[in-house]
Amino acid sequence: MIKEEHRARGVDHAAFPTFDPAATVRFYRDVLKFPVVHSICAAGWGPDRHPDFIHFFFDIGNDDRIAFFYYFGHEPAGAPDARGDAWARLPEGTPEFFANSRHLAIHVDSEEDLLEYRRRLDESEWPCEMQVMHETIESIYTHDPNGYMIELTRALRPVTPQEDLDAALTVDALCEVASGPEATLEKLLTRKAELIVERAEAWERARTAAPGTETVAP
Amino acid sequence: MTAVFVLDVPENRGVIEVAGQDPLLTVDEVGPYFRISATGESAGDSGDEPLGAGHSSTTGEIVIDRRATACRHAVWYSAIAGLQGARIVQHDKNALRVVPG
Repeated sequence: MIKEEHRARGVDHAAFPTFDPAATVRFYRDVLKFPVVHSICAAGWGPDRHPDFIHFFFDIGNDDRIAFFYYFGHEPAGAPDARGDAWARLPEGTPEFFANSRHLAIHVDSEEDLLEYRRRLDESEWPCEMQVMHETIESIYTHDPNGYMIELTRALRPVTPQEDLDAALTVDALCEVASGPEATLEKLLTRKAELIVERAEAWERARTAAPGTETVAP
Repeated sequence: MTAVFVLDVPENRGVIEVAGQDPLLTVDEVGPYFRISATGESAGDSGDEPLGAGHSSTTGEIVIDRRATACRHAVWYSAIAGLQGARIVQHDKNALRVVPG
């Protein structure tokens, strides 16, 4: 039997450090109602004076988990008033868009579910900071007690096959343009237009000929 | 040819409809993309008179009024998939303006 190429099955866990486990538990377990599903209490060991630590996990749906490390006796580095989070404080002058670019987005199935999480956040110490209608998703945002940006998002419609083609062409154009000098959006869109002319009609013909077997390969 | 590509998804339909109503623009299909092309030889040879909201291109240039498309901002600013012989000189809350590049 031929094994499929793409065998990954989502996020097992995404792990982050915390200096405030009590607030972290209030946020994820008590406000968002994410069940605590696993923990490890470990004595520090190994060659680099690793501190004793607790590793604890919350279920974020779909059997995926967000996990935290609490290290006994380890203090945060960096200026506490600098932009950033428990993992790192960023250099002065780091813009907000860049700080917020790294975030975790958790999927919900419906507007009703999104608004339920908004209600839970708004009644807590960590109210919703932003509710945004993007291109094809609607999202709410807040920062957790550790300064990590958390997004909850719902799809406004299913993704269409041509969006997968478009993403493939974007990424190919991006790799070319970003590897060259002075990358700009204009250069990317110009290169992408060439890829559209080269590949888009053949993609559509293949899709029409064999519905349901479309591929994003050239 | 001065042209922009727009992916055929429901959110982009307003852009295609506005372009389709503009007598100075041609819309054709390339796979799952629409190609909006400016007609005419070069900018300015028939004057720069705008033809009104949704009909605002000038010869050789592509001008699309955002409000006429009814696109919300996140859609508007990500609607362009490709530039063919073209350069964007305006892409703001009012309009998209593309000139020969």
